[in-house]
Amino acid sequence: MNPSDSDASKLESADTDRRGGQELDYLLVHVARGDTDAFEGLYDRLVGPVYGVIRRVLRDPSQSEEVTQEVLLEVWRTAARYDPAVGGAATWVMTIAHRRAIDRIRSTTAAAGREQRSAEVHTPHDEVAEAVEASLDRERVRRCLEGLTEVQRESITLAYYGGYTYRQVSDLLKVTLGAIKTRIRDGLIRMRDCLGVS
Amino acid sequence: MRLRFPRHDLHALAGAYALDALDSQAERDRFARHLSRCPSCAAEIRGFHEVATQLAFAVTAEPPPGLRDQVLTAAARTRQLPPEVSRHRAHARPPRAVPWVPWLSGAVALASIAAAVFFGLAQSHAQDQLSQARAQNQALAAVLSAPQVKVLSQVSTKGGTAVVVLAAERRELAVVTTGLPALPAGRVYQLWLIGKTKIVSAGLLPPASNGQTPAVLATGLVKGDTLGLTVEPAPGSAQPTTKPIVALALPV
Repeated sequence: MNPSDSDASKLESADTDRRGGQELDYLLVHVARGDTDAFEGLYDRLVGPVYGVIRRVLRDPSQSEEVTQEVLLEVWRTAARYDPAVGGAATWVMTIAHRRAIDRIRSTTAAAGREQRSAEVHTPHDEVAEAVEASLDRERVRRCLEGLTEVQRESITLAYYGGYTYRQVSDLLKVTLGAIKTRIRDGLIRMRDCLGVS
Repeated sequence: MRLRFPRHDLHALAGAYALDALDSQAERDRFARHLSRCPSCAAEIRGFHEVATQLAFAVTAEPPPGLRDQVLTAAARTRQLPPEVSRHRAHARPPRAVPWVPWLSGAVALASIAAAVFFGLAQSHAQDQLSQARAQNQALAAVLSAPQVKVLSQVSTKGGTAVVVLAAERRELAVVTTGLPALPAGRVYQLWLIGKTKIVSAGLLPPASNGQTPAVLATGLVKGDTLGLTVEPAPGSAQPTTKPIVALALPV
């Protein structure tokens, strides 16, 4: 890949993120004051990735819809607790979304669904490839994932999209626990640098 | 006890922590404690959460068509939490152990209620994002440390107990529950402030862990309110649709 090309797109996308991010922060601050128009705006901008990641983790459409509702209501309810100094609004919301999806699969009520799911999740790389198309976001993430080693990439996608614990990832990839911890962390450091986030 | 692993080992878990891939609640708690003492780790986690956000954006999907209306309608009838109380105040008035409970007799009852409440705090700390948990805990600490706090509890008609710490002067309360039966998928526990002329939602109970739900803060109590708990279809209802399993009159 041409390095100057990649630098240019990194700068441009970081700049886009910054503007989009400020708008989201602004909306969330207004949501905290009970502004329902701001909540609609925030909903329209974030429901796609919130539903997308929950759906990716849970698979089941009706459970995903339910958890998406819970997450967005939690955003509404706890917006006043959002601290812009700690991170952007999108990150705050996505952290809640992923956590709630994980809570759902680790809870006992989802045990049955989980069995079914685990049979399906065998080709994380293909799944990412399949999902990661059109948009610039997808393109950037795909490029950065490609820059990782295979174990880094698979352990990050299994953990984040597959909802596996690092112990389960270690089992699936037949790599020691210690190595998996390190691969996930090193992979995230590379992703962070590649995506140009702080 | 708190140095069960060498620090560099703990630090290696930063990636798995940021992806919600730690193995157990105990491991999460241990890492969260480490995080609160390690600003460079907190900065690293922030960066990793941003990476995770990009991973989420990369799998953006079209939500079901009815979702928007459902969420907006539910939001319109859901009470929001108030903003964070200042740290200064929470620190200036540490929780007091004894004078809270004027009418409960017995050190055992007091100790078990205090344990239930603080266990709820500890859990909410572990389950939410750190900053959010800190803010929530400060708000709860303000309730717990308010003068003239009263502790009430009631056994639900389905088993399990709701424990309420009421700060009447602040018109706020904190609720934890223990031992409520697990609900089938698609059902949630919802709290209500039942007044003489209207009933308002006080939010959903968060998911229980080890049988306990993290503390929930309810604000804006008015004289004559009763705290109710019902089972509702997810994601909660505008008005209760089932008979309360807890109905606790609040001496506000």
